[in-house]
Amino acid sequence: MRLALCIILWMGIQAVAADEVSTAQPQGLRSHTPSTFLLKNAHVVVRPGVKLDNADILIRDRKISVVGADLVAPAEAQVIDCSEKTIYAGFVDAYVEQSVSTEPIESGAPYWNEAIRPQLRVARQLGVNSLNQSTRRKQGFTTVLAAPEGGILKGSGSVILLTGNSASEAILRPDVTQHIKLTVQRGRGRSPNSPMGAVALARQAFYDAKWYDSAWSVAKEDPTLQRPEQNDALEALNLDLADDRLFIADTTNELMFLRADRFAREFGLELAVLGSGNEYRRLNEIAATGRPVILPVDYPKPPNVGTIETAMNASLEDLMHWDLAPENPARLETSGVTFAFTTDGLDSPSKFLEGLRTAVERGLTRDRALSALTVIPAELFGVDEQIGTIEQGKLASLVITDGDLFEKKSNVVETWVAGQRFEFDRPSDREVVGEWTLSLVDSSNVEDVEQWNLSISERKGKLSGELTRPEEKEEASDDQESESDTDTPSQDKTEEISDDDPNATLDDEDSDDSSQEESDNKKTIKLTKLVLNGTRLSGTFPSHDDPTPGIVRWTMVIDKDGNTGSGQILYPDATKKSFTGERSPKQDNASEDEDDEAEESDDSEEAKPSSFAVNYPLGSYGVDEVLSTTERVALVGATIWTSGPEGIIENGTLLIDDGKVVAVGTDVPIDRNTRTIDASGMHITPGLIDCHSHMATDGGINESGQAITAEVRIGDFIDCDDINIYRQLAGGVTTSNILHGSANPIGGQNQVIKLRWGMNDEQLKFREAPAGIKFALGENVKQSNWGDDHTSRYPQTRMGVEQIFIDEFRAAQEYAERQEQYRRDREGIPPLRDLELDAIAEILAGDRWIHCHSYRQDEILAFIRVLDPFDVTIGTFQHILEGYKVADAMAEHGAMGSAFSDWWAYKFEVYDAIPYAGALMHEAGVVVSFNSDDRELARHLNTEAAKAIKYGGLSPEEALKFVTLNPAKQLRIDEYVGSLEPGKHADFVVWSGSPLSTMARCEQTWIDGHQYFDYTQSQVVSARNEFMRNSLIQKILKSGHDMKDPDAGPDDPEQLWPRDDMFCGVHGFQE
Amino acid sequence: MKRNLMIRIRPFLCAGVAAVLSVSVALRASDEIPGGPQQSPIALIGADLYPVSQPPIPNGVILFEKGKITAVGPAREIAIPANTQRISLAGKRIYPSLIESHSILGLVEIPAVRASRDQRETGSINPNVRAAAAVNPDSELIPVARANGVLLALSAPEGGFVSGQASMLQLDGWTSEDLALEPSVGMIVNWPSVKNDLKESSNDHDRVDELRELLDEARAYRAGRISDRSRQQTDLKLEALRPVIDRQIPILVWADSASVIQSAVAFALEQNIRIVILGGYDAPVCADLLKKHKVPVVISAVYRLPRRRNDPFDSAYTLPARLHEAGVSFAISGSASSRSSSNSRNLPYHAGVAVAYGLPEDEALKAITLSPAEIFGIEDRVGSLDVGKDATLIVTDGDPLETPTSVTHAWIQGRSVELTSRHTRLYEKYQQKYRQLGNQ
Repeated sequence: MRLALCIILWMGIQAVAADEVSTAQPQGLRSHTPSTFLLKNAHVVVRPGVKLDNADILIRDRKISVVGADLVAPAEAQVIDCSEKTIYAGFVDAYVEQSVSTEPIESGAPYWNEAIRPQLRVARQLGVNSLNQSTRRKQGFTTVLAAPEGGILKGSGSVILLTGNSASEAILRPDVTQHIKLTVQRGRGRSPNSPMGAVALARQAFYDAKWYDSAWSVAKEDPTLQRPEQNDALEALNLDLADDRLFIADTTNELMFLRADRFAREFGLELAVLGSGNEYRRLNEIAATGRPVILPVDYPKPPNVGTIETAMNASLEDLMHWDLAPENPARLETSGVTFAFTTDGLDSPSKFLEGLRTAVERGLTRDRALSALTVIPAELFGVDEQIGTIEQGKLASLVITDGDLFEKKSNVVETWVAGQRFEFDRPSDREVVGEWTLSLVDSSNVEDVEQWNLSISERKGKLSGELTRPEEKEEASDDQESESDTDTPSQDKTEEISDDDPNATLDDEDSDDSSQEESDNKKTIKLTKLVLNGTRLSGTFPSHDDPTPGIVRWTMVIDKDGNTGSGQILYPDATKKSFTGERSPKQDNASEDEDDEAEESDDSEEAKPSSFAVNYPLGSYGVDEVLSTTERVALVGATIWTSGPEGIIENGTLLIDDGKVVAVGTDVPIDRNTRTIDASGMHITPGLIDCHSHMATDGGINESGQAITAEVRIGDFIDCDDINIYRQLAGGVTTSNILHGSANPIGGQNQVIKLRWGMNDEQLKFREAPAGIKFALGENVKQSNWGDDHTSRYPQTRMGVEQIFIDEFRAAQEYAERQEQYRRDREGIPPLRDLELDAIAEILAGDRWIHCHSYRQDEILAFIRVLDPFDVTIGTFQHILEGYKVADAMAEHGAMGSAFSDWWAYKFEVYDAIPYAGALMHEAGVVVSFNSDDRELARHLNTEAAKAIKYGGLSPEEALKFVTLNPAKQLRIDEYVGSLEPGKHADFVVWSGSPLSTMARCEQTWIDGHQYFDYTQSQVVSARNEFMRNSLIQKILKSGHDMKDPDAGPDDPEQLWPRDDMFCGVHGFQE
Repeated sequence: MKRNLMIRIRPFLCAGVAAVLSVSVALRASDEIPGGPQQSPIALIGADLYPVSQPPIPNGVILFEKGKITAVGPAREIAIPANTQRISLAGKRIYPSLIESHSILGLVEIPAVRASRDQRETGSINPNVRAAAAVNPDSELIPVARANGVLLALSAPEGGFVSGQASMLQLDGWTSEDLALEPSVGMIVNWPSVKNDLKESSNDHDRVDELRELLDEARAYRAGRISDRSRQQTDLKLEALRPVIDRQIPILVWADSASVIQSAVAFALEQNIRIVILGGYDAPVCADLLKKHKVPVVISAVYRLPRRRNDPFDSAYTLPARLHEAGVSFAISGSASSRSSSNSRNLPYHAGVAVAYGLPEDEALKAITLSPAEIFGIEDRVGSLDVGKDATLIVTDGDPLETPTSVTHAWIQGRSVELTSRHTRLYEKYQQKYRQLGNQ
């Protein structure tokens, strides 16, 4: 009684409020549709884990008014019986991308680069018909986060109710998120045109926003100062920052996830991540970020293994991904990661529940799955007071199912969005599949009932059917009995007719040559043009025996129960007959036909857990566990090429401990705690150092959108999963200088890495290596070989190349002075922080080393002359093909040279390159290295070094230094690596013979005292990989899953970025 | 001293290319002077001989006259006729010329400079074009290859579907005719990729059908020409296919993947034509097929990346050893891509790394000497140190498969070959510069 009173009081308040929610003037008559509903006798899951049986929900004025048992229906309430139904809070699709027009930014005061468009608001461009609403509602979604599509800083997203009404009603919370994507599509035309460039631009935009804020606050205080520019983008971004807006980064793989996290940390952003489904591959790192994730459920199709040959091409990575991806949600749950779900990535939102149920089958708990659809996204988007649970005062957004949501057989029968009811409980959403008995009544003779049997089946969303009718009308009744025990096809199938296209014709393609089978006196005819449209099932079939042969048309309207219907038949001679139809009751005993067998194997397969544990990186040659502890190890009996003062030691011992070299020599005491490795007959050298590489980066090698891109950082995009890391370890490389390409006079900042295979991208970085940057001269930067469209970017000549450097250095000098002056005086508008000029200023301050791609002697000399007045010493000249012509000038400047051993004649500027260059420069006192610039060549830098013996007569010891100590000096890391001396990193290679011999093999490669490669072990791993591949291939073949198109490209879009310098193309061995 | 051959650039060349070229395209002719015909018999005395066709002969003598080898054997067994030029080579080694089984030598000088490219005719069916017709004997690339022992090289057109005829060159001579040891040793075909094994793509099939029709037409054409010349008029493309249908030359098919190799071999069997596989990455998978039908493989580069992520890192390195074990005949080429042949000199190192990964040393040497000679049908003239063969041989100061080894002498058909090159000239020139600076 008290409860009832409360309800009445509360409802009264609501009723008043309900009339005052809109400012709209009524058009015509006022409409006040009753909006009180009582949902009776349902299982109500009020929140994940809390289920009430036999409960009622009272909905009033779009909100949940009461939840409880045996509620009394108010007089005006419509009562809906929900017995046997389950009711959940409406689901949230936590990421739905919407295409948005950029017109609003163009007409305002935009950022200089259109990709920075945080001022774009999805809420301002909401189309009522967008968001694929009905499809989503059928999956149980009542709310979405609508996110803008395109750009880098993309604009704000809004929480939208799927009411199908105008924006004024549909927007639950506008501008709740800001969106960011740290990559771009490929294409040379625009700027930025690489992922590295995208991050650099986003980073600059945040600095610009900070500056904008402080500049305006200074300008407002002192009107005499020069007024800063007006900028909508920066204003919007500052607003986001001031409001601690949730940023959502959309990521294409697990590494992009980690990068987004780092970016967010750099600027203190609240961040959620739109995941890729790959998160399980770096689970610990991802869990450690603490970022909420919005998870897709678009698991990959298996790679094509249909033939021996296509199976050869299926990588273990793709096979494992197919096997593991459905466990991604469960694994994230186990690791304590907070996540919501999205339909993003699916071909159609209609596939969502299927994906969700697969996740549950593969270990995700039901409560967590439900949370991820309701309370978690509601909290994430700050709308948890209005949606997410079935509780008093929340919006009446509900999902009603005819069984447990996570059971395959359950269907969403209704979805309520903020009190608006959407029913799907129509026959069109049920099965029409089965055996129908049609009773035809002749209007002239009501007693004469003819019975037909209609058998409807469905395969892969297509309906097909057969009609069995008596040949002679007179015999109809006799046949009837024998028809009744016809097999009933599987009842498990759910109908797959897309609501997006309800008029789709589902006729069988082969049906026109209608096969008519005669058996005894019955005729089975294949149905054509079979269409289910709403509740109307219609079709045609050919008739040869009716008085007028031709095509018979028929339509049946199915009743609400789905098992009965009535319809009409139109004969070729235009006579009509009415009929009633009845579907035979379902039978549990599945018949033995093919369909059922296929389904059974489906069922048993889907429950199967993944076959193999995640390795790092996933797939071939990945390691099971990342190395952590180091041992004290002595390698004895080897010929040790120290590349240090000790020279070459015969029958020597190398002692390492704690990742460092302890001793090298012939007389090294070994204590009991030391593991001893017999290396007699072997040769040991320092780990090889490649001073010029483009592997292990997935950020694109060139940001070629502008001539100067000093703000771009290779280090933002180290790809620890690149198989070339492993392949080069197998060639003895331990350290590699990953450089930006040569598209620009001033390219991006380089990153020195160690080849710590298995570790993550940050762990690969060579911490102690000083900063550097790529510069380039000659044909590539003046676009000589870019094609005929590229004739306008400055510079187009070597003359211009020289000038652009002087211009940039002067600008950086003046920039640094302005910064310094402001730091001192704090007067006027604060100067902008420009990341490009910062990098150049660091060069001028001696904190960043230039690695300059260079070919001809004139440009080399010119560049030295540019640097001299700024008192800058170059880090290295790279390639330095004609360095031998000006070795004296190089030596005088202190320039080092990192060259190709013998490449030449692939373009005009290398026609004078000679293999003696290394020796000539060396003799002139230049520190020389040989590099690869090529993924294949990097695998045998040792034999490249041997060319310095052949061409120029260096001693073997000096030649080896071209790939050990000398590149270490050039990268300014010789304090740590490059030679085997006590205190240096224990980076070394064990060779089967002289390291300079083509016939020697790299047996072991060690970094930081860990053995990362072992030749014998690699063969064991290889065999194990093949075993894994075969098991997974069998698993796919047994699963009956649809396989990928064998010619399809990689799933991971980041795999599409080049890993070599396309502007330096023609020389190499790469394919 | 310099005999520069200036190539004039047509003035209307597009601006972008002109930017490169206007720097002055002085595509120089090489300065090396071709060797003259052998005047008197020559005896190389005291070196270790590596004839390839038989085990090494320590302290041997090789005798050649009028360009042909007349004796090979241990020093004590060979009688040296009077009037013989004796060259003492104690401590040295003598090998037959290394043979590069694929290149674009002579056809392309600098890939980035369009005017210097002659390897790719327009259109997709060009069986009638021959590399030997367009080889530039003065290419600077030729002496560079030669200086490291590569005196013989296949030079081949590329592009399209049927690219044209490959020629076997000997890398010294005044004219392209001097260079052409055998103007036509095979027909280059870029086999269509058998992309989609499940739904055989109609497109790929069309190409094979196209070749099938072409060969049928060539047969009809041959018959027509024999019976009545006036009725069957000239068709150069069909005429050029006659040596293929007559089994005089093989088709040289680029094929790396198993399905492409299988498809190409099946076609050759069906058409009863000879075939050589170029590339051959997956050849071990098809080893039984190749062995059964005696289809040889030219392994195009041993220093090559695995084609698939899951392949062993050394899959290309072990390819020669695996083919050897499977009994498939093969040669090793250093050319993984035909974008440039400026480093054909590195051929022996491709054989060297095959040794590191399991191939017996003598087999590695054979794969760059006698095997290619056999594959290209010139083993009666070159490929080993045997009496009656051309005196096309090299003298080294060590194992040619090892990088530091240098070639000290070379003869092509008895003509002494200069081992200098653009590289040695520039080396000497700039050594001179630093000497001058040192003297200041």
